[in-house]
Amino acid sequence: MRAYAEGLVLAIVSLAAIWGAWQVPAASPGDTWAGIVPFAASVALLGLSCLLLVGASRQTGDVATASGDNNATPQIIALFIIALIYQQSFRWFGYLLPTAIVAPIVLYMFGMRSWIGLAVSVVICPLVFHLIFFVLLGVFPPYGEVFDLLSWLQG
Amino acid sequence: MEIFPALLSVITDPILLFAIVLAAAVGMIVGATPGLTASAAIAMLLPITFYMSPLFALAFLYVIGKSGRYGGSIAAILFNTPGTAASAATQIDGYPLARAGKAGKAMKVATISSVIGDLMGDVLLVVGVGFIAAIALKLGPPETFAIYFAAFVVIGSVIGKSIVKGLASALLGILVAMVGLDPISSEERYTFGSFDLSNGIGLVPLMIGVFVLGEVFAQVEERRKATGETKENESSADGNDLTWEEYKPCLPHAVRGGFIGAGIGVLPGLGSAIAAFISYGEGKRRAKNPEQWGKGALEGVAAPEAANNAVSGPSMAPLLTLGIPGSTIGAILLGVFLIHGIQVGPTLFLTDKELVYKLFACGMLGIIAYGLIGYFGATQVAQLILKIPTNVLYPLIFMTAFVAAYSARGSMFDVTVMTCAGFIGWLMRKYDFNIAAFVISFVLAKGAEETFRQSLLMSDAGALIFVERPIALAFLILGAGAIAFRIRGIMKERKLAQGGLGDA
Repeated sequence: MRAYAEGLVLAIVSLAAIWGAWQVPAASPGDTWAGIVPFAASVALLGLSCLLLVGASRQTGDVATASGDNNATPQIIALFIIALIYQQSFRWFGYLLPTAIVAPIVLYMFGMRSWIGLAVSVVICPLVFHLIFFVLLGVFPPYGEVFDLLSWLQG
Repeated sequence: MEIFPALLSVITDPILLFAIVLAAAVGMIVGATPGLTASAAIAMLLPITFYMSPLFALAFLYVIGKSGRYGGSIAAILFNTPGTAASAATQIDGYPLARAGKAGKAMKVATISSVIGDLMGDVLLVVGVGFIAAIALKLGPPETFAIYFAAFVVIGSVIGKSIVKGLASALLGILVAMVGLDPISSEERYTFGSFDLSNGIGLVPLMIGVFVLGEVFAQVEERRKATGETKENESSADGNDLTWEEYKPCLPHAVRGGFIGAGIGVLPGLGSAIAAFISYGEGKRRAKNPEQWGKGALEGVAAPEAANNAVSGPSMAPLLTLGIPGSTIGAILLGVFLIHGIQVGPTLFLTDKELVYKLFACGMLGIIAYGLIGYFGATQVAQLILKIPTNVLYPLIFMTAFVAAYSARGSMFDVTVMTCAGFIGWLMRKYDFNIAAFVISFVLAKGAEETFRQSLLMSDAGALIFVERPIALAFLILGAGAIAFRIRGIMKERKLAQGGLGDA
């Protein structure tokens, strides 16, 4: 089942890539087509996905179950969703506020159970990262369109 | 001979020397920490190097890579957990030695052998790289494309469990690299009308995502698997000291391992894990005491460690002369060259020869630095690693990934790319796709496309140009041969497995 799924996903990706390459306009006379490499690569990928599907159909039983499956997938997906929200919230609230919220959540997910530690991380994490990257290295911090804690603190 | 003035110049620069020693210590700690890799550390530090001079940035990351390879042996010997894939071979004899109370001895053998192997690799690099560059200068686009093609195929098919998945990973890397404007005609490819995508996918966020965030996701899984059971190693008074009489039988294995590693290092994609296992196998075959190997032979530590580290230097040869990174660390270093506007390839030895040799000099001094730190302080490094609370370390790495991805170009789109790359990287790991092939192919794709299309223009769109030129044809055959060789190996393994089952 897993091998079928892998083959199918690759086939879908390759078909989308072939379609994408096909959208590239034709080359002007004397030039090479800009879509030639993406097209060739996606066709080759389609071929490989067919090989995976053929290999899956030859498997006698459901031999390959996800190696090392230990019910961590929901936790990883949860962490990925937090990551997506975290990066998006930079655009809305700048760097400090999202980091102050995400730091204790991620620490808790990794097993930190000290309430003092979690509370300290709310201040320490944004402060340390801000000092290293935005003060010492001089990177311009992302500005929060809705509310920016840094601007508010700086008055 | 350019290496001697370069060495003198580096030795007389105290700030650079300090950076080398710091990088050696950082690399060792990172390499020795299970779950952390030198690639992850380098990817995370990559944005910081924007603010450094090219030599400083390259030397810092290059030495971390070297030292990280060696650091893997510390975890392999002391904790029975290889810090890197390459140190899995060291674990076979290293851990039984630690269990028998000879951890210090094993660590010293690993350190000396790593230094011997790494220095051999670097000397061969310094001697040979000029010749390779001179040859590379004479190659035309068809030959260069054929080399790229062979690299894709070798990287995709030789590493990893499955040839199909390895090649698919390489093709995925190529497709991701195609996103953005075509450099020749400026036509949009895979942009779907997005302005952000028209700038292409950045190397730095992709690397940070795959190696850093992907590793954090993987660690969530690993923590579930871990049983938490650790056995206390025995300790004895004479277990920490190493005498010349004890190391003498290890020396031929270290030297042989150095040559094996250097030879494998020149070939893109094979990497230090393969070198370490070949050297271990060869060492055992030639050993006077093969029955002792696997139960705690010091020679069994020396052979793989020397080979593992000897890969480091020669793997820079295809990177610097042809722009083909032989490893993930090489791919990241290529990014540093590009960030600083330095074109990697045969012309590098005409335009930035001094920088290249100074980098080699830094590498050699880095070897001595990690050798000294390792010989006198490996046990302390191990104790430090045991004290690192992983429930704090990984959340910090998680948050660093975001700010590091943003710092590279001050772009929020890069942070989104990094987040998605992290999840895709974890999925690829989980389903046994080949991360190294994906990343290296991503880096190689643009150069390969350019040479491919230049070749087509040279021949009026005739693909026969690749067959008509003997060097190009030889590399195409090499690529096809690599797949055939791997398929033969897999068939052999299957036959043996079936035979084994039949016997049972």
